[in-house]
Parts: sequence; C-alpha cells; structure tokens
Amino acid sequence: MNGTDSPRAVVELARAKDTAIALESVTKQYETGGVTVEALAGVDLAVETGEFLSIIGPSGSGKSTMLNLLGLLDVPTSGTVRLQGRDVTELGDRERTRARKESIGFVFQDFYLLPTLTAVENVTVPTMFDRDRDATNRAVELLSRVGLADRTDHTPNELSGGQKQRVAIARSLINEPRIVLADEPTGNLDQDTGATILEEFRRICDDGVSVIAVTHDELVTEYADRTVELIDGVIDRVG
Amino acid sequence: MATRNLGRNRVRTALAALGVLIGVFAIASLGIFGNVLALSAEAELGGIGDQVIVTPNQDAGSNALTVRDVDAIARATGSDGTAVALRSDNGLITASGGQTFGQVYATETPGVLFTAAAGTIPDRHRQGAIVGAEIADELSLEVGSAIEVAGARYRVIAVLESEEMISPVSPNNAVVLPESAIGGRTYDQVVVQADSGAAATAIADRVRAQLNAREERVSVFELSSLLETINEFFSLLNRFLLGIAGISLVVAGVSIFNVMLMSTNERKQEIGVLRAVGIHKADVLRVLLAEAALLGVVGGFFGAILAGVAAIGLVFVSPIGFDVVFVASNGLYLLGAFVFGVFICLISGAYPAYKAATLRPVDALRG
Ligand SMILES: Nc1ncnc2c1ncn2[C@@H]1O[C@H](COP(=O)(O)OP(=O)(O)OP(=O)(O)O)[C@@H](O)[C@H]1O
Ligand SMILES: [Mg+2]
Repeated sequence: MNGTDSPRAVVELARAKDTAIALESVTKQYETGGVTVEALAGVDLAVETGEFLSIIGPSGSGKSTMLNLLGLLDVPTSGTVRLQGRDVTELGDRERTRARKESIGFVFQDFYLLPTLTAVENVTVPTMFDRDRDATNRAVELLSRVGLADRTDHTPNELSGGQKQRVAIARSLINEPRIVLADEPTGNLDQDTGATILEEFRRICDDGVSVIAVTHDELVTEYADRTVELIDGVIDRVG
Repeated sequence: MATRNLGRNRVRTALAALGVLIGVFAIASLGIFGNVLALSAEAELGGIGDQVIVTPNQDAGSNALTVRDVDAIARATGSDGTAVALRSDNGLITASGGQTFGQVYATETPGVLFTAAAGTIPDRHRQGAIVGAEIADELSLEVGSAIEVAGARYRVIAVLESEEMISPVSPNNAVVLPESAIGGRTYDQVVVQADSGAAATAIADRVRAQLNAREERVSVFELSSLLETINEFFSLLNRFLLGIAGISLVVAGVSIFNVMLMSTNERKQEIGVLRAVGIHKADVLRVLLAEAALLGVVGGFFGAILAGVAAIGLVFVSPIGFDVVFVASNGLYLLGAFVFGVFICLISGAYPAYKAATLRPVDALRG
C-alpha cells in the first residue's frame, strides 16, 4: 500500500463519490498443475463515473486479470466486485451476462471483429438477439461519431487497424454502457492512429462513461485522468 | 448468421453437407428400393396367395378327383371361399384367323376365377367359349367369333382380361369351355378361391384333414404361407438395407461432429467476444446448432431429392411400374431419411456447440 491511505479509507472515499465500479480487497489465484499463482494480492480500486483510468505495470503483474474481474468475465478468489454500488461478485452466469450487456463495453487489443459481418453489423452484434430492437440507426450514428460514416458496409478485412479499433469502440458503446474496458487498445496500432483512438476515449469519458485501459503505452497515460501501476498483483503507485 | 459462418470455410462445409447428402440418399434410396421390391413382388404374387389348388395325388395312384372329392372340398371350403372344379386338357384351337395350341379348361363356374374384358361370363357356363387374352389376340377373336376346339365348334361369349399376376391357373393362353366339353365324370383339379390369404391357409388345412385322413389322396397346394415367408424376407431385407444406409449416415454424423468441433475451436475467441459483450449461452448455443441443422437440412434435402430422382429412374431402367414407386410409403422413406439426417446433424453438432457455448468467457478469449 502507499502508506498514506489505508484500504478502508480508499473504499470509503470511493463510495462517497459517484463510483462506477470498484474492487474491494480483491485477490485472484490461479491453480495450474498444483502450483498456485497469486495474480492479484488484495487490490482496492474505485473508478469514478466519467473517469479515464489507465493501468500500467510489467508483464505478468496481473493487469489482464484485473480487467477480467472488472468486466465480470471472471470471479475473484476473495473480495468484492461492486458495479454501480451493487455487489456482483456472486452473480450467476445469466445475471453476469446481463450485467455485462447493460453496463460494460469491451475493446480488445486484437479488435475481435466478426470477419463475416460488415462494420454496422459488427457494431450491432451485442444487440443481435434482442427482439423488437433494431440498433442499426444507433450503430450508424456511432460509426459516424468515430469517423467511419463512409465505411459502414465494409467488412473487417477491408479496414485498417485503426479503423477496426474504431469499429470495436462503436461496438462497445452500442448498449450505452457506464464503463468501457480496454486491454491494450493501442497495442496493435502505430503512434498516430493510437492517438486518435485515445482522443476517442477522452470524448467517451466526457459523455460520462468510465474508461479503464490496460496498457504498456506511455501515450495512454497522457490522455488518462489517473494512472495506477500494478506490480506483482498489488497496486503500487497511484499517479 | 449461421449461413455466413458456414460460408467461411466453403470446402469443409460442402464436404460435410455432401456426407449428409450421401447418407440421406443411401437411406432413402435403399429404403425405397427394398420397399419397391417388396411391393412389386406382392403385386405379382398377391393373387396366388388367395388360392388353394387341390390335385389328385399321383404317387398314391389316384389320377382324378371324383364328384365326392369335389363335394368334400366344397364342404371344407365352407363360407371362406368358393371351390371351382376344373377339367383340363391341351388342344388345338382353330379359328378363321389361324390355329394355335392352348390350354383348355372345362368348368361350370368360371366367373369365380376369371374376369372378362369383353362380353360376360355367365353364372352357369353351359355353352360358348371364353377365351384368354393372348389367344384372342393371336387368332383375332372377339365376342361372337367362331372357334373350333377338338373338333367341336363354339361361339366366343367373352374375352378375358390379360392377367399380369403369376397364377397356377393362368387364363391368358387358355380357352374355358362348359363342363360337358371334356368328357368323363372326374375332375383334374379343384381351385379354391379364398376370401383372403389366411382363409386360404385355413381351407388348405381342412382339406388335408378331411381328404387325406387315411391316405394321401390329394395334393394341396397353397401359397399364402409361402407368401408370408416371402414378405418376412423382404421386410428383413429392407431392414438390412436401411441398416447399411444408417451406417453411412452415422459416418456423415461423425464428419459433422468433426467440422463443428474444428469450426467452434477456430472461433473460440469470437465466441468469447460474443459472451463478453453480453450474449447469453443459450443464444450462442442456438446459433451453433442452427449451423449444424442447416448442414443437415441442405444435405438432407438434396439427398432426398436425389433419392426421389433415382426411384423414378428405376421405373425407366427396370420392369418396375410407376404404381409401386409412387406410393405413400416411399414418400415416408424420403421424409424419414431427411428427418433422420437433420437429427444426426443436430446430435453431432450438439456436443461441440455445447462445449463452445459453456466455455467461460475468459478462457474463450484467451483462445
Ligand atoms: N488462466 C490462467 N491460469 C494460470 N495462470 C494465469 C492465468 N492467467 C494469468 N495467469 C498468471 O497470472 C499472472 C498475471 O497474469 P496477467 O495476464 O493478468 O498479466 P498481465 O499484467 O496482463 O501481463 P501482460 O502485460 O503480459 O499481458 C501471470 O503470472 C500469469 O502467468
Ligand atoms: Mg495482459
């Protein structure tokens, strides 16, 4: 811990403000072949609404693990995950899936667009099984917001890396989430393209959405409101 | 969605669908083939199943059936059928159109055994000749023509229908005369026309019991039980053919299994993304099952079409008639094979789909 704030105090502080998502004394252990790896060793973290948080740290320090917990893709070994004040640690698969859909958007390093679908269709994928809802208009609107108005009917292999990532960002926003999680969003992009993506994130935050980005990229920290560094599964520095 | 996913690896998809196609084709066509065989055998043999032929047992030294024998047979027949006593001979049949050798039957009640195509067969046959289709054709006979059989002249009162079925008393190459036309007091055979195959069997048993009680005086020939055995054989053959065809569809199922396993494995990360962005397990499962079902529907549809075409082709390359091909039971084989094909696809698609859909999103994303 960083000395001045006790974990409890951090938590209290976070609760007092408008907290989008929070981890409270979270640990995560992986068991592989009898060996237990402690990927997260007691993490307290609160992310405010509209905040752009970047998480840095050496490889293997537990960044992706933390993001998976924040994204309700995985469950902590101990501790609590709180989404907009609600304890979501113990939810079953159905409720987790619903919570993800309602509140969280994902942006991946490898974009993960479906190769058979066009840009608009990719953006509407999260709404694919919603009856009586056609999200196409909103998808087109989001694509033009990220500057891809003229690329709506292109398939991923007809798009550049930066364009693909912008499609992915539009997809993450289709359900009007409170939180967007990004694992190495600029990892596969050159400096300039990375910058446009980060500007995109900044604008999202200005609309009241929290963005949490895991990165090795120094550039990301320049755009972020706050940066935390993770070392060996512990938050080491809050910048 | 399912269509496009399958479109991604066209060759593999096509091969899997081809497997189903072949499987469904095999089941449907072999099923129909066996069924057609059974049906046409039944059509050809059906008639003799209802008849019992009683002839004197020459081994026991009797050459003819007496009036008493005929009466005994009639009693044994009872109300299960009608016994017709026949005298038979071979003879030269002459008409203005030429002459030919033919079978000559003499009986009082030919109407029980034969059906007229032209003219009428009287209840009691007292005068005139009834001629079979082939003879009528050969000698250009029609109702009213004059013929001469064994020196006696007759007027043709009826021409018989051409008989397709195999029958112990085939009328095609025969002339049927009144009983008195062939002299004597005995008969050469009694044909019992029974109401059904089962009745024929019962009658045959009673005739044996009553006439052969002390010595084997008559030979009783009836085919209904043989026919049953033939039917059993055909249904066995059919099941055997279907079994072979079923194996080919199971092989197709294994290839579907493989295709689905490979394609879900390849798409693990995509499935992970779907799960991450809030798509439920059940929906992922549904998409993947839809893909498997689509393979089955497409492969099965064309397999069934092909089998239908093959069945129709059978009519042209073999002496099998349309009447035994266009029957409801054959349609059932087509439908059944199709349904079975789709079912196999769903079954073999189920495990890979279930496995992929229930993978934890984190694990799926890691690839
Ligand atoms: N599924 C898993 N099973 C076992 N161990 C795991 C698993 N996932 C992660 N780990 C371990 O947990 C630790 C943290 O991994 P994590 O992926 O969170 O690191 P990271 O900070 O994202 O690293 P990088 O910057 O290289 O992506 C590592 O030691 C890793 O080996
Ligand atoms: Mg990582």
